[in-house]
Amino acid sequence: MKKNLYWIALAAFIIPILARGLMFYRGFPNQRKVATPDYQAFISSQPPIGDIALNKNIEQTSGVILFDLAHANQYQPADVKSLQEAIEKRGGKVESISDTTSLEYKLKYASALTVISPSTAFSADEIRIIKAFVHRGGKLLVFTDATHGLVYTDFFSGSTISYPDTNLVNPLLTAFDISVNNDYLYNIEEHEGNFRNIYFESFEKNDLTLNLKQVALYGTHSIESPSGLVLLRGTDATLSSSNDAHDPASGGAVLSENGNVLVFGDFTFLSSPYQNVLDNSTLIANIADFALGGKQNILLENFPFLFTQPVLQVYPAPEVQLTAEIISAISGLQTSLKISEIEIRIATKTPRDGDVLVLGTFADAEELASYINPFNISLDESGDTITLKNFGDIGRAGNGILLFEENKNGNRLTLLAETPEDLIALLSTVSSGSFYGCILQDNIGICSVGYGGSFLDETGGFGEDVLTPEPATGDATPTPAG
Amino acid sequence: MNQTDLTWERIRIWLLWIALPLVMGLIAASAIPRPVIGIIQLNDAIYPLSAREMITQINYAIDNPEIRAVVLAFDSPGGTVVDTEAVYMELSRLRAKKPVVTVVNGMSASGAYYLSVNTDYIYAKPSSLVGNIGVIGYLPSTPVIFEDIISTGPYKLWGSPRDAEMRQIELIKEGFLQAVLLGRGKRLNIGKEVILSGKIWAGTEAVRLGIADELGTENDAIKKAAKLARVANYRSVGLYHLAGLQSSTAAPFFIQSSEGITLPYPTKPGMYLLFIPQLPVKQ
Repeated sequence: MKKNLYWIALAAFIIPILARGLMFYRGFPNQRKVATPDYQAFISSQPPIGDIALNKNIEQTSGVILFDLAHANQYQPADVKSLQEAIEKRGGKVESISDTTSLEYKLKYASALTVISPSTAFSADEIRIIKAFVHRGGKLLVFTDATHGLVYTDFFSGSTISYPDTNLVNPLLTAFDISVNNDYLYNIEEHEGNFRNIYFESFEKNDLTLNLKQVALYGTHSIESPSGLVLLRGTDATLSSSNDAHDPASGGAVLSENGNVLVFGDFTFLSSPYQNVLDNSTLIANIADFALGGKQNILLENFPFLFTQPVLQVYPAPEVQLTAEIISAISGLQTSLKISEIEIRIATKTPRDGDVLVLGTFADAEELASYINPFNISLDESGDTITLKNFGDIGRAGNGILLFEENKNGNRLTLLAETPEDLIALLSTVSSGSFYGCILQDNIGICSVGYGGSFLDETGGFGEDVLTPEPATGDATPTPAG
Repeated sequence: MNQTDLTWERIRIWLLWIALPLVMGLIAASAIPRPVIGIIQLNDAIYPLSAREMITQINYAIDNPEIRAVVLAFDSPGGTVVDTEAVYMELSRLRAKKPVVTVVNGMSASGAYYLSVNTDYIYAKPSSLVGNIGVIGYLPSTPVIFEDIISTGPYKLWGSPRDAEMRQIELIKEGFLQAVLLGRGKRLNIGKEVILSGKIWAGTEAVRLGIADELGTENDAIKKAAKLARVANYRSVGLYHLAGLQSSTAAPFFIQSSEGITLPYPTKPGMYLLFIPQLPVKQ
């Protein structure tokens, strides 16, 4: 009996507990071990430093490579130090252009112009000058960068205005059938430290891609050129930010059809430490070779950089006397040539070789036949006109002719005019370096040098009746002087 | 023993052997707490103050046995890396003992999603914003020296070279990715490339991709938490005040414009697990 009571008491005690417990708790939650990332196992990637391009046996050359600084360019000198050093190691000279007014002048002697991430626009005149430079054989290198555009944020309105450098270089590149897309390339699967740092392993065969196995660009726009060469192509996993798709027709670098315009979508790869990653240093060396490979066809518009030797021999033809006016004009020329460190010497005989400036009148044509004949010039017997290939008949009076010939033994510039006075005017035009009064076609130029002495009649007039004042009559109004 | 004595004996037995144990049982039963589903709200970015408050609530939930499960209710764009990681690690401790369920109200982006993947189940509204997996960092300046500031090494002022900072961000990203893969596991219907794209998805799309589990409300999350904890007749309680927290202020995390507008940019440079909404960009 008593034993039963114990059980009853126990039940009475437990039932409420169980009832409440079961009312709230239907089981025990699973005890588990929660897996978390093994942070210690993560190791920071390091830049894959490649074989640095050897500096031994670098072929020495010459040339001036201009770096544009006139368009608020978004780079620091240190950013492009590797390229500039590669140029200098090859015997090239690096110069910068800080104002647009000197562009035309400097492009007369430069091998290449380098434009890096501009943030102000190129004027139509600048584009014309650069196009002419490229057509003469100069090289144009354009580096844009997806990480270097300007962004302005209006905190009040919350709007952001972006000024990518692509908008500023595309007007310049359109003429060469190249366009830089306003995007960036990325690769999430395989990259150099960050998704926007792209490996390139597929190269178009060209001197610029010589000895390259793998390079990396760091935040590059994609570039395309239907007629040109896409030098660096990404893998299928390399996508454009504009549409998250791979475009095999675009890449990180493009060379124009004529081979004179090289465009990169990035210039960060030129800066430390990225210039030594993979084969980037070899690529930079190839770019330096490309820039210094720009050899302009020297045309009259390259004056005063027509001559390559340290001495320019000035040969006055027999009909030209070294008057004070002529000597004054030659000294003006000497000033213009100082920039090229060229010395002027007067030659008394026809120079056989070396750089020569010939000063002559049309009357000296026979004497100067060796200089004139290559240009197929014929002077008519009447003495009124000259016939020039591509120009037709030109009046002799008041016109001067420039003839430029590039030779292995020396370059020759021949100046011809009707009279010594016209010749002086022509020489002054040439010395000024401004050919705005001239028509230049390749190596022949015609300049208007005034009316010319022969145009005036003996009375000093224009062959018309000269009005002479009639003697004063008594009806004339008296002057205070009487 | 007469009838009266017998009656009293029966009463005595009933009182002693039934009523008393029953009362004692009832008293003892009352000591069994009604289960609580704790709710931790995060309606802010993750930065030192908000992280500390979250950790205080998590610790309270760990220490109090009546709290059988926790619901994290998010409306957060994420925040600093270190504060996110701190909360993430404390969440792991909590999860080892109690189920945790996420409900995304407005947004669970970046760092907030980092925390969400360390829970057992994720609910989202159809238009909640979920994802934005990745890291944002401000690269330090190229080292320079100043006349009036003296330091003892080139990176004393700047912390690290720019390239090293970039690679550091990759490590943080790798940690985030691993957290997502571990937390979501086979529920993910997308690959690593899509996860790391940094996209932010609407709730419906997030569920389709396995970034979240189901569309649902806070009530759904509470029910789910109770189910995982195997409790019934529970009550749900916000843990903020229970944990002894009171509203406090801290230096603003986001930049305030002079016109009083809160901008989506943090006030300090650094590394962030943060979603910065796209501003209208004109070109």
